[in-house]
Amino acid sequence: MAGYFLRRVLGIVPTLLGVSLLAFGLLNVLPSDPVLTWSEAGAPMSAEGMERLRRELETDRTIAARYGDWLLHAAQLDFGRSLRDSRPVLELVGEALPWTLLLNLSAVLAIYGLALPLGWAGSRRPGGVPDRAARCLLIVAYVVPPFAAALLLQRLFSVRLRILPLQGVTGGEAAGGAREAIDLALHLVLPTLCLALSGWAFAAHFARATFRTLLDAGHLAAARSRGLAGLRLAWHFAPNAAAPFVSLLGAIVPGLLAGSVVVEEIFSWPGMGRLLLRSVDGRDYPVVLALLLFSAAAVLLGQLLIDLIYPALDPRLRDVIGSEASVRG
Amino acid sequence: MDHGRPRRAAAFLCLPLAALLWGCRPAGERPAVPAGPGVKAAVPARTGGRFVFPLPIEPATLNFVSGTDIASAVVLRVIGEPLVDHDVRLKTTPCLASSWDLSGDGRVLTFHLREGVRFHDGAPFTSDDVLFTYERIVDPKSRAVGRADGFQTVERVEALDPGTVRVVYREPYAPALRSWEVPILPAHLYRGADFATAKQNRAPVGTGPFRFVSWEPGQQIVVEANPGYWGGVPSIDTFVFRVMPAPETNLPALLAGEIDFARLSPTQWEARRHDPEFQRRFRDVGYVPLYFNFIVWRGDGSNPFFTDPRVRRAMTLALDREGYVRSVLKGLGRVTASPFQDLLPLDAAHEPSAESKDPAGTSAADLPEHQGRGARPLAHDPALAGRLLDEAGWRIDPRSGLRTRAGRQFRFTLLIYSSGENHVQFAQVAQDDLRRLGIRMSIERLDWQTLWSRLKSGSFQAALSGMIPAPDPDSIYGLLHSSQIQGGQNYASYRDAETDAWLDAGRRTVDAVVREGLYRRVEERLVDQQPYTFLFNPAVPAVLNARFEGIEPSPLGLLGSSPGAAGLRLRREPR
Repeated sequence: MAGYFLRRVLGIVPTLLGVSLLAFGLLNVLPSDPVLTWSEAGAPMSAEGMERLRRELETDRTIAARYGDWLLHAAQLDFGRSLRDSRPVLELVGEALPWTLLLNLSAVLAIYGLALPLGWAGSRRPGGVPDRAARCLLIVAYVVPPFAAALLLQRLFSVRLRILPLQGVTGGEAAGGAREAIDLALHLVLPTLCLALSGWAFAAHFARATFRTLLDAGHLAAARSRGLAGLRLAWHFAPNAAAPFVSLLGAIVPGLLAGSVVVEEIFSWPGMGRLLLRSVDGRDYPVVLALLLFSAAAVLLGQLLIDLIYPALDPRLRDVIGSEASVRG
Repeated sequence: MDHGRPRRAAAFLCLPLAALLWGCRPAGERPAVPAGPGVKAAVPARTGGRFVFPLPIEPATLNFVSGTDIASAVVLRVIGEPLVDHDVRLKTTPCLASSWDLSGDGRVLTFHLREGVRFHDGAPFTSDDVLFTYERIVDPKSRAVGRADGFQTVERVEALDPGTVRVVYREPYAPALRSWEVPILPAHLYRGADFATAKQNRAPVGTGPFRFVSWEPGQQIVVEANPGYWGGVPSIDTFVFRVMPAPETNLPALLAGEIDFARLSPTQWEARRHDPEFQRRFRDVGYVPLYFNFIVWRGDGSNPFFTDPRVRRAMTLALDREGYVRSVLKGLGRVTASPFQDLLPLDAAHEPSAESKDPAGTSAADLPEHQGRGARPLAHDPALAGRLLDEAGWRIDPRSGLRTRAGRQFRFTLLIYSSGENHVQFAQVAQDDLRRLGIRMSIERLDWQTLWSRLKSGSFQAALSGMIPAPDPDSIYGLLHSSQIQGGQNYASYRDAETDAWLDAGRRTVDAVVREGLYRRVEERLVDQQPYTFLFNPAVPAVLNARFEGIEPSPLGLLGSSPGAAGLRLRREPR
């Protein structure tokens, strides 16, 4: 079993190498370069000036030489410095990461918090009016582009009703303690809603199907006949029900990460999505590479983690993995 | 089955969400713009106020010398100060230098520094800081993009005493004074530190009207009134630069009271300019920027169309630029008659103290007769355009209806920026105008990055682009001088010996009158040659929260000119 997971972890390395190679290649195939970006975006340079700067930034070296160099440093967890502001890439990522984590965690909670009860309600009376209404609404939420949803929500809650802040993560007046936490929570509401929109329909549908399978299964009737009821019944079936929802997480999170690029931009949320957009725009190669690599690593590790949790919830899988491990070992 | 329980459970789970929404109620009762927070006791109580200004991107750095992106420049204007600055009419004004003289031969510029000026940390400002700043500008390691170009002809900079700096140029350099519009670094804080990573790059210390308080990455930069400012303590307590990357959110944020200034799209402005409530709450501070759009006609022979000046002239004559300003820009903007339109006439700040002679051999006596007037742009004249095209051999083929020469049809592709609302609309209208003349223009929509690199590499026939000139006619040099074809900004590959000579002379001529004459000649030549069709300067509709006053926009924006943010104050009586 331990060998199985070791193999899985090591299996991530070639995937990451592939991602970095692809990202490096794509970045260099993209037209324009950092110097041209700077010159055109406000500080026009003479032809000679641009050449001087390219030499200084070493962007005039060959792709292979730069990739080799980058790889050598990355292997030692040195991701270099941003071309834009000369700060270590890890420092930039460190500033943005907590914000993205917070937003995504909050979106996951929002998705599960609504999808599970709706799915449960729907599974109890499939095709009923509440079920159909909920599904209808969720489909609408699913098809509204996050960009449009964001602007509409901002108009409604921040401009008309004035009950929620429109953008940013703070009102700007340093208060400290509880007031700051409330301020942050308020700033979280709209971006969370926007990010959760596209996930809700899928998650609720998934929950409804999962609950129906559970409820229809013969063992529920069997347990009931043994006299289990209420919370004890729920407790009995919790692991069974939990397993699919853990794997649902694996399906939702990559989508959320992609969605946060747009949401962070509109809500001026200082996270990784915005950092990525800005760095791609400015052709800040070291930052883009690191961000792509980290996102890939996060998704892969997430999958691995789910695979780790799964056997704990479903004993049948333990046997499968065990036998596979013994065959290979 | 008992349906009651799950329904109750669902209701319970929805409670926190409802509570969260209800909990926000009190926030809704706050005033439209939050009142100024109790800033540190160091700032004496005054009119006060907190002004929030949106930035489309976060500054890369707040290093005075290497911070050249648009956002850095805006923030640095309130923290740091140059030797000379410019007012809202772009006339050069004294700043850290209270006066200056230029020698008769135009090679020696002497700055007399303002006395008693201190940096925000209390250290005095002296000629040593100016020397240090100069050394950093010309050091390639500083990556002082674009800035270093203005210092290529400096022979040496020397401090005569703590209050006087002398700059000696190898040859007269007309834009010399403008090139010194670089905020002066505090030498005592940077000396010995690594310039690229010094902590002052993210917590700058200057001599300006506001001093740095905090920079929350990705969110905002906060500055507060400098109580020791030599020009008088600013009226506003706190100035916040808020990073807001999505331009669509500017108007809602303004309406929600989260920012005090916003640029609007022409459509947004049209929808609100007659709304009395909007007009009461906000004041129009729109401006026409130096930015102008133009079409590049690649005239180096790589395509059969645009090498002939007659064809390029015909293209300009075929385009109804006045009409575009009315239809595409909804009247918000004006036709760009010439790239020098906003850069001439020259102000006489550069007048040398003694007689000077134009290196090109012109003297003020034999100036061109149009001296002092602007260029006469080509008017919209499709009939004349047709005749010019006929003359150039491009005749209408009766079968296809297209102009044809030696079996080649007049079909070309115009590259445009895909997200520019104006650009797309303009290209479509222009397409119709040209079709009527028997020319088929296709449109290729690209992102900025691709557009720039196609322009640089020369893989295009025609392209719609734009530029923000610096407020000196020498900033057009890159667009027109043949030395800038390879790798520079002369995308049209325009090569004209006389234009080159006038531009070179304009760079070296310090006598304002003679110098203006040189650029007027370039202007005249451009009308004839049309390497570019200059289109229009689109206006920037912008509004300011009417709670504030004391600030006027310039072609460089709301904060782009002196006194800028230093003059801002709360309105005495609310409207």
